[in-house]
Amino acid sequence: MFRKVLIANRGEIAVRVMRTLREMEIATVAVFSDADRTSLHVRMADEAEWVGPSPSAESYLRIDRILEAARKHEADAIHPGYGFLSENADFAGACEDAGIVFIGPSSQSIRRMGSKTAARQMAVAAGAPVLPGSPEALRGVDEARAFGARHGYPLLLKAVAGGGGKGMRRVDSGAALDSAFRDAASEAERSFKNADLYVEKLIERPRHIEIQILGDQHGNMLHLGERECSIQRRHQKVMEECPSPLVAGRSGMRERMGEAAVRVARSAGYYNAGTVEFLVDGSGDFYFLEMNTRLQVEHPITELVTAQDLVRLQVEVASGEKLRLRQEEIAWRGWVIECRVYAEDPYNNFFPSPGRITRLEEPGGPGVRLDGGVYEGWTVPIDYDPLLAKLAVWCGARESAIARMARALREYDVGGIRTNVAFFRQILEDEEFRQGRLHTGFVDEFLARSQPLQAPPELAAIAGLVAKHHAAAGASRTERVSTPRSLWREIGRGEMLR
Amino acid sequence: MNPPQIELVEPGVYSVLADGRSYEARVEQAESGVVVFIDGYRFEIEVRDPRRWSRQTGAREIAGRLNVVAPMPGKIVRLLVTEGETVAAGQGLLVVEAMKMQNEVKAPKAGRVISVAAREGTTAAAGEILAVIE
Repeated sequence: MFRKVLIANRGEIAVRVMRTLREMEIATVAVFSDADRTSLHVRMADEAEWVGPSPSAESYLRIDRILEAARKHEADAIHPGYGFLSENADFAGACEDAGIVFIGPSSQSIRRMGSKTAARQMAVAAGAPVLPGSPEALRGVDEARAFGARHGYPLLLKAVAGGGGKGMRRVDSGAALDSAFRDAASEAERSFKNADLYVEKLIERPRHIEIQILGDQHGNMLHLGERECSIQRRHQKVMEECPSPLVAGRSGMRERMGEAAVRVARSAGYYNAGTVEFLVDGSGDFYFLEMNTRLQVEHPITELVTAQDLVRLQVEVASGEKLRLRQEEIAWRGWVIECRVYAEDPYNNFFPSPGRITRLEEPGGPGVRLDGGVYEGWTVPIDYDPLLAKLAVWCGARESAIARMARALREYDVGGIRTNVAFFRQILEDEEFRQGRLHTGFVDEFLARSQPLQAPPELAAIAGLVAKHHAAAGASRTERVSTPRSLWREIGRGEMLR
Repeated sequence: MNPPQIELVEPGVYSVLADGRSYEARVEQAESGVVVFIDGYRFEIEVRDPRRWSRQTGAREIAGRLNVVAPMPGKIVRLLVTEGETVAAGQGLLVVEAMKMQNEVKAPKAGRVISVAAREGTTAAAGEILAVIE
């Protein structure tokens, strides 16, 4: 087993990985940029090394500096977390060359899955269902037009090097194809320095359901079930749950999806943790979307339902151990919901809200897991993504898990910056959500139909009293109380226009 | 009925007992008053201070002129309008990037862009004036 592991990441995921390493009695090395000198992951680590200025291109994405830090601190292995270098085949390859274990799949597997068209071909070869689509990059808009003529509209143009919805366009008719193709290609070029596009048939209101897989370097491979990730905003997941309300209600569906995912991973010669993403249509048919060759942001929900520690399993198989766990030993117990708490203002078009956290009150009590990366008094920098923490709750059934999440969110109080906590409280009240009728367009439709949260009237009076009392200490006189801002409809319209 | 009891329990946090019920309220200083948070609900409370009032209003709107300010600290990645241009309400004026996300700052009202203070590639602080619309 390793003696010391460097975590090539920051924020909540660096903290989460360190927690397991500490339980395994493995020493931890943090890396940090200028902006992160006082970040929680640095405070928590046994050792720490500066790797550059605040922009991630000059620090967390610098393969040379990360490896130099690993050598200097004599780390045996590197955990990449998610984002940054986690799906960078060159980085995994550089670790292999330097004799430092990359806690993840081989650089070859990452490279294979990094191309969406190559991944698609692999899924086809493995017998996994895929949507009708172009097997390779389109040579031009005419190929997309021919596809549309044959398979009909709507269709979806996607970036071969894609991710996060960048370089993706829905096309509803042949007339709209030219401009959509141009926009998607230029966005793909800007985002990935690769303008190649491919085309797929579009499913209306699909669910996004993914399967967690895990393999060792001795040919053993298993799956840990699904995660429902249909609640997304701007193609980014914001809320996840396990089990999926759809999968839970259909006998054999988890097994069918799990087996398909394992077949795809096997055909890629994959080992370590990975996630196979599927789109699921209204009739429950599922189609391979892509494979993520890293630990997912939302991995805690699988951990809570299966009582496994995915980071520990990652570290064990990376060190060469055989998987002791067998497929038939994996059981799914209870229901878990997770919310991604972002520094953004749901009352102001979800604008990012970096700044100093003047107060932090985190939920606790029965069935609550909080994976955080911040502390009171710390300033959230503008340089990185706005994820502050992941709040997951576990309960016996979906309905009670919803009630538990509502309770936990009520306990959550972040001062000085804005967060999306109130947004989640409103989603939990929504009848469509409570019925489990989820799809990837859910948030847009929700914002358009939702009513502003109505504060109980006595709270406005209490607020006025407190403000007066507070001002008595200062000089100013307080007046007029306004009710909670009701911009939900406006936000909904704004979002629909995107 | 007893008058409500208000106790400061932590900096900026008050415990309120009113009619036998227990509330917790947190107060944050805002531009023109305070914001009180109770149970996650947000109440904006205006502070009437004649001096402050005139300065604040004066800075924001003079004779139909409206300052467009940065909603958050961030980098100006793209200007979408130039001085002298006529814009519709809701039209994108410029693109600000923070925390890996690009957001359009939109015109709060229709009018003519009489000045653009923002420069591409520079960083703006929250509340900084980016453009003026008349």
